[in-house]
Amino acid sequence: MGIPNYPVNLGYHTELQGFYDGLAAGELRLTANAETGEWLWYPPENIPGRYDGQLIWKAVSPEGSAYTFTTVKRSLLPGDHKDEVPFTVVLFEPDDAPDCRVPGVLVDAEGVEPACGMRLRFRPVPVGDHIIAGFSPA
Amino acid sequence: MQGNRIAITGIGKTAYLRKGTQTLTHMVVEASLKAIADAGLTPADIDGFVGNTNIPKSDDIGYLIGMKDRAFSATTDVAGGSAPAGQAVILAQLAIEAGLARHVLIPYGIWSNKPGGVYAFHANEPLKAAFEMPVGFFGQPSYFASMANRYAYDYGLSEEELASVSITYREWAVLNPDAQRREPMGLAEYRQSPMISTPLRVADCCLTTDGAGACVVSAVDCARDMPHPVVQVAGCGLGTSNFPHGILFTQNPCTYNYPGEASAKKAYEMAGLGPKDLDLAQVYDGFSISALVQTEMLGLCERGEGGKFYHAGHARPGGRMPVNTSGGHMSGGYVPGISLLIEAVKQLRGQEGERQVPDARVCAVVGLGGNSHTTTILTRS
Repeated sequence: MGIPNYPVNLGYHTELQGFYDGLAAGELRLTANAETGEWLWYPPENIPGRYDGQLIWKAVSPEGSAYTFTTVKRSLLPGDHKDEVPFTVVLFEPDDAPDCRVPGVLVDAEGVEPACGMRLRFRPVPVGDHIIAGFSPA
Repeated sequence: MQGNRIAITGIGKTAYLRKGTQTLTHMVVEASLKAIADAGLTPADIDGFVGNTNIPKSDDIGYLIGMKDRAFSATTDVAGGSAPAGQAVILAQLAIEAGLARHVLIPYGIWSNKPGGVYAFHANEPLKAAFEMPVGFFGQPSYFASMANRYAYDYGLSEEELASVSITYREWAVLNPDAQRREPMGLAEYRQSPMISTPLRVADCCLTTDGAGACVVSAVDCARDMPHPVVQVAGCGLGTSNFPHGILFTQNPCTYNYPGEASAKKAYEMAGLGPKDLDLAQVYDGFSISALVQTEMLGLCERGEGGKFYHAGHARPGGRMPVNTSGGHMSGGYVPGISLLIEAVKQLRGQEGERQVPDARVCAVVGLGGNSHTTTILTRS
């Protein structure tokens, strides 16, 4: 299996950096309402008067399950990524935030048939000069 | 709004080509002029226009085709795919019922071979760029493939059942001289189609097309004096969900739960009809899995039974409920939405020759686009 290598592009949305700060620290961090603790994921855009300054990054459980998956045989990312396929993308649902889905790559899974509902554990995966969310069979 | 107040009186299209040589403006103008002529009108008779953000503005098209008085002008704002055509019909009906226009032009076109490719717009979504592209989750085939795997987990779906959707539409395309893909395709040929993102193969995906289509919608009292059998809009409905495009493919609680049941319910209620009244249907087939799910949502079978419905041959030529009789977007050509409306009108007029559904009188056209979905029920009076 391969691994996708595509740069993280936050553009003007530097408030999304918290996710990658979490990966660098070995944590899976999602956004939540600072006052209520309610998960708000994906993070809604910071609009004055709505969510303005109210979002915090909180670590979630590294364990969870796959809502769904697909094994990419032909990468549609801009540029030439032929050498990176196949890889399997999973939508990970953390045990303590099951309504929040985190896209990531299935790793350490040689010989394992990906499946919806499969138990997974978070593992940060260095790729080039950045880190992506990886999930390995639990 | 009430049913049977407006009719589709004119239709026109360009060739649907894998790689065209004309500009989008040229294609849209060509289709528009054909639709106006088909209605027995001149451009000067057209007093309403419903465009879309994906095509040139009414200023340009109206000028090029020779409109004189654009008394009503609007633009559909739902996401791409097939929903804009259904929304355009709703807007046209509002304009006609309000007395703002008598004949409304609805053009649409697509230039798939534009620079940047068909998936470029996803890269402009900040959340996709931040969280999805770095892990390779990018482009409709991957999004819809992930839906297919979840659907299979929830309901069960065999490879043969999924393949039967593509195979069914190809059977219709073989009968359509204007279809882009006419070579016969059985299960063996399907299995030779390259896998893009499991379980979706190239054969499970819509085509890449350059082309355009257009309809003229008129007040029904005008339609009775026009050249063709009257094809009325008996019902139309728009369904939406509150998940914008940037989060739709990951955070929707059920990622394949399009708002198709909501749009169908509104359209059926307006028409005073139900699924059992349909003679045929045109279902937006961006992908085999999404067509299968929308077939269920239209009520042609129970939820979770779409695979069995197609595998049993019900939608094939000669089946009890023909679906996508032009070959749809997966074999006929991807000029989303408008091409399905055109096919429905031709079937109801009885103009389809070898692929004509006998005595077709009621046809549903359903369209998905982002988090929006439309259902339009057409009847021959």
